[in-house]
Amino acid sequence: MVTRIRHLVAAATLMLAQTASGNASAELVVIVSARNPLPALSGDQVAAIFLGQAGRFPDGAEVVALDQRLGSQERNHFYTQLTGKSPALLKAHWSKMVFTGRGQPPRELADSITVRRMVADNPSMIGYIDRSALDPSVRPVLVLR
Amino acid sequence: MPHPGASLIQAPSRNRIMTYPFTLPGNPVPTALRGSVFAYGLLVAAAAGVGFTGDALAADAHAGNPAARPVWKFSGFGTLGAVRASSRDADFTSTVLRANGAGRSERWSPDVDSRLGAQLDLSMGRWSGVLQVVSEQNMEGSYRPRVEWANIKYQATPDLALRLGRIALPVFLAADSRKVAYTMPWVRPPVEVYGGLPISNSDGIDATWRWRSAGDTHHATQVFYGRTDTRLFEDRRLQAHGIAGLSHSIEHGPLSARVSALTGRLDTGIGVEVFSAMRGFGPQGVALADRYAIEDKRVSMVSAGVSYDPGQWFVSAEAGRTHTHSLLGQTSTMYIGGGYRFASLTPYAGFAKIRAHGATSDPGLPLAGLPPRARAVASALNAGLNAYLATIPIQTTFSTGLRWDLATDAALKVQYDRVRPTDGSRGTLINTSSGFRSGQTVHVASVALDFVF
Repeated sequence: MVTRIRHLVAAATLMLAQTASGNASAELVVIVSARNPLPALSGDQVAAIFLGQAGRFPDGAEVVALDQRLGSQERNHFYTQLTGKSPALLKAHWSKMVFTGRGQPPRELADSITVRRMVADNPSMIGYIDRSALDPSVRPVLVLR
Repeated sequence: MPHPGASLIQAPSRNRIMTYPFTLPGNPVPTALRGSVFAYGLLVAAAAGVGFTGDALAADAHAGNPAARPVWKFSGFGTLGAVRASSRDADFTSTVLRANGAGRSERWSPDVDSRLGAQLDLSMGRWSGVLQVVSEQNMEGSYRPRVEWANIKYQATPDLALRLGRIALPVFLAADSRKVAYTMPWVRPPVEVYGGLPISNSDGIDATWRWRSAGDTHHATQVFYGRTDTRLFEDRRLQAHGIAGLSHSIEHGPLSARVSALTGRLDTGIGVEVFSAMRGFGPQGVALADRYAIEDKRVSMVSAGVSYDPGQWFVSAEAGRTHTHSLLGQTSTMYIGGGYRFASLTPYAGFAKIRAHGATSDPGLPLAGLPPRARAVASALNAGLNAYLATIPIQTTFSTGLRWDLATDAALKVQYDRVRPTDGSRGTLINTSSGFRSGQTVHVASVALDFVF
């Protein structure tokens, strides 16, 4: 409960900060493994993968999405930019998927570095990380400002 | 005091003596129990299957998938609700499958919306199983848990999934998730549309195929086939066989839509005491019984719904039609609703309507020329038949409310509904008394706390 309140406060603070300064949060990049030959993706394509509506990359290869921690700035920023959905709306979306047996939300990892490492090793994976965490092991396919 | 089993197409109390359901001896194994056993059997069989084919699955599974090792997940949902209705001659409730509601039975009723659901998911590479049990008030007034979902799924490809077992039917936009109130802005799905679905579950098979068309439109086409057998109260069951249908969902950015069609053959003992007596009145009685009795009657439903939700606001609308040649009648339903999100507060409003096509009353057996005693019986049977026909809903509801997202897994909602059954119908109300008058507005106030875990 305390964590939840802290998350709420953090989310509220973030929202206020964003409103006050236009966009204070860092740039995010959507990444795939450097071994994945995939060209750039559109926002809608990435959104469909992360919302469980698409199970493949546009080229037909199977795809597995990785999320960042619930309540993290990266995660809130990613979904707000891409889908316009708040954390509560996303929870509602996944509740609908889970309780109708249609799917489970993406696996959750600790931070940008963990996501990058996991994606680097697996050409079927896709994730989003802070731009500052980019390195040659992964390739950006979409930049979110 | 309304009888516990007095909801579905139950006659007003003045006819209760005549329409009171017969009770037969015998104690059939509860459906929930049989469903659970069936589901666990499937899950255990699936788990055991991994022992034999584990290597193949491990080799098969992609690096990202939680591969051959079974992964269990427990989750759940629920609603704590209280509802107050202004009527003293009928109960407002969220579905006809309830024993009582707010109004006549209780001033404030916790039974309209309160429920608890628990789900166990098991996944092993391409195989997964789901068991969902829901506890909510049933027609006998108890909260005995019922198995809502119990199936195993085989993900043949990332786009094609096959399921065997119990599924909730994917009709309208949200019939398969209607019990998870957290997923919707309102306290409950519109009762006109969702409150009286004659069939909502199917035990059988289904296949879902996901595909993409130009312009990043995502499609999911689902076909299903099965049967269902639900205990209503005492010895009364609702059975359907040969349930077959198709549901097609579309997602395109903030736009989602679903069209569906299904058909099945329905059987229930509702009204059987009236119809068996009517059959004693010669060919005319037999004809009436054949027309209205729900015995191997084809039911068909079609629906189309669309919702637009760019995040800041949303609007959704649906329309559907149900058709049977029985005392369930032929109805068409629609609703439209929308809301605007101010951070964690979402005020919303909606309008819903159900109307009947075809007769909602019947002259019944001709009384002329009958001897006095027979005439009294025939007259009572006609009244019984018409009491059933009055349960074919004709109703409109205006709703407005506020959703407050307390956290990312709980929401508090307050809602006001102005419910008006008309044209001699009791609408979606249940447990009507002899003082009930169609056409009178019922004011309903609801508060609900929805959560998921």
